[in-house]
Amino acid sequence: MKMAKQQQTYVGIDNEINGGMTSIGKIIRDAWVFGLIPETETCKGWNLAGIDALLQKVNAEWDKYGCLVSHLPEELAKRHARIHGEAMENARAAGWRGEHETDDES
Amino acid sequence: MAVKKYDAGVKEYRETYWDPDYTPKDTDILACFKVTPQAGVPREEVAAAVAAESSTGTWTTVWTDLLTDLDHYKGRAYAIEDVPGDDTCFYAFVAYPIDLFEEGSVVNVLTSLVGNVFGFKALRMLRLEDIRFPIAYVMTCNGPPHGIQVERDIMNKYGRPMLGCTIKPKLGLSAKNYGRACYEGLRGGLDFTKDDENVNSQPFMRWKQRFDFVMEAIVKAEAETGERKGHYLNVTAPSADEMMKRAEYARDIGAPIIMHDYLTGGFAANTQLARWCRDNGVLLHIHRAMHAVLDRNPHHGIHFRVLTKVLRLSGGDHLHSGTVVGKLEGDRDATLGWIDIMRDSYVKEDRSRGIFFDQDWGSMPGVIPVASGGIHVWHMPALVNIFGDDSVLQFGGGTLGHPWGNAAGAAANRVAVEACVQARNEGRELEKEGKDILTNAAKSSPELKMAMETWKEIKFEFDTVDKLDVAHK
Repeated sequence: MKMAKQQQTYVGIDNEINGGMTSIGKIIRDAWVFGLIPETETCKGWNLAGIDALLQKVNAEWDKYGCLVSHLPEELAKRHARIHGEAMENARAAGWRGEHETDDES
Repeated sequence: MAVKKYDAGVKEYRETYWDPDYTPKDTDILACFKVTPQAGVPREEVAAAVAAESSTGTWTTVWTDLLTDLDHYKGRAYAIEDVPGDDTCFYAFVAYPIDLFEEGSVVNVLTSLVGNVFGFKALRMLRLEDIRFPIAYVMTCNGPPHGIQVERDIMNKYGRPMLGCTIKPKLGLSAKNYGRACYEGLRGGLDFTKDDENVNSQPFMRWKQRFDFVMEAIVKAEAETGERKGHYLNVTAPSADEMMKRAEYARDIGAPIIMHDYLTGGFAANTQLARWCRDNGVLLHIHRAMHAVLDRNPHHGIHFRVLTKVLRLSGGDHLHSGTVVGKLEGDRDATLGWIDIMRDSYVKEDRSRGIFFDQDWGSMPGVIPVASGGIHVWHMPALVNIFGDDSVLQFGGGTLGHPWGNAAGAAANRVAVEACVQARNEGRELEKEGKDILTNAAKSSPELKMAMETWKEIKFEFDTVDKLDVAHK
């Protein structure tokens, strides 16, 4: 009997390429910042629709602050600094460098 | 024993097309070719052959009807010069009578000057280094739809370089999410976002949905920032009809600017689009995909300064120019040369910048150079210094790659450019004091501080492939 093609799922932010410095990694970290998901949630096993739904929620939160970290209230700004600071450190330790972000440009 | 590779035929070219006593007329189109001949062929003969085969050389079989006058229409090789530091080739200067070409047609000029002659047997390699378009010919061309000042008025942006960012269609970037990425960049402080040149109307994101979502982003960003915003909607298409359909839709939904790839899309399509843009009040951003195929080999092809002149005649309000600094570093003097060609109304011959002829553009509007690719905030002081205010500085990865996201990347670049402009206006030396200027600005911008930490260790040290000939010494 033919089966439906198996749906692709996310590997989890802790298993990501570039130490998690990816588009989806940013969505998950911001979701942690805004308390949309607990910081223990890596999103492993989520499908694209789930990630996309999370993105829409993250966008709605950012819209309250004009999309800018410098517009966040103090408590959220501190939380943002901690979560993203740790992520940068981990990503660098995993070999990520800022130059990767301009590698594909022409 | 060397094999004979070339024979002029019944009559040597130099008898008809080599004219060292000729004084070019003000109305002549002048060209400088870098010629690498086959071994054993005299320079004068090769130069004459280039003049012949790029003008009337192929018409001789019908010459007997005497309806046209060879002396009036033929190209003339009138000078030969050594190439500094390179004995394998020489410069040949050719003058073409203006009547040889249809008015307002860069297509016709290029069909002759870079047509059959490039496959000619007497040559090993050939490069068109520069063209002088006489003012009489310039005036027959439409040129940029609007030009620098009109664009500043339309966009209400003055006194600083404008900022842009190419939105990359990374995995999962639907038209809706693509529009969101544009919004974030514009909301964060960019003036423009841009379609990636590879994005036309593929099945994963058709043009109409992209245009709609991007326009929504522009409207939202304008409402929230109180600034004019734009996105280069790429109308490059498989046919000119389809291109025009997309351009008309962009106009109808209120887009201030659209985009075209003038080399892959073609010069005729580009000229058509530029004329339409002027009539319809839409700005035109020009991308240059395929240019490196033509301009990268120092001995063969077409130099980018020629492609720049051709674009200014064909029409475009922006043109990618190279960055001088950053990952895609180009020769500084040569780049400054073609930036002058884009913007100035009169450009003097200046061999130190690779410019072989005076070029009078008359009242033709200028083109804004776009520095794009492989640059980030640490390059900002140099970019502001090199490009000045009439430019677009375009940070792709240098915006979207910000660890805090697109808006943060945009804000970092906006704060950086404003800090650099202020410092320059106060008389400070940007390239010397860049670090202090940016560090001071970052005290009030966490987004800039993070951008500086992200990219601080980067050094790009690739050598330039196509240097000015003086640099080959």
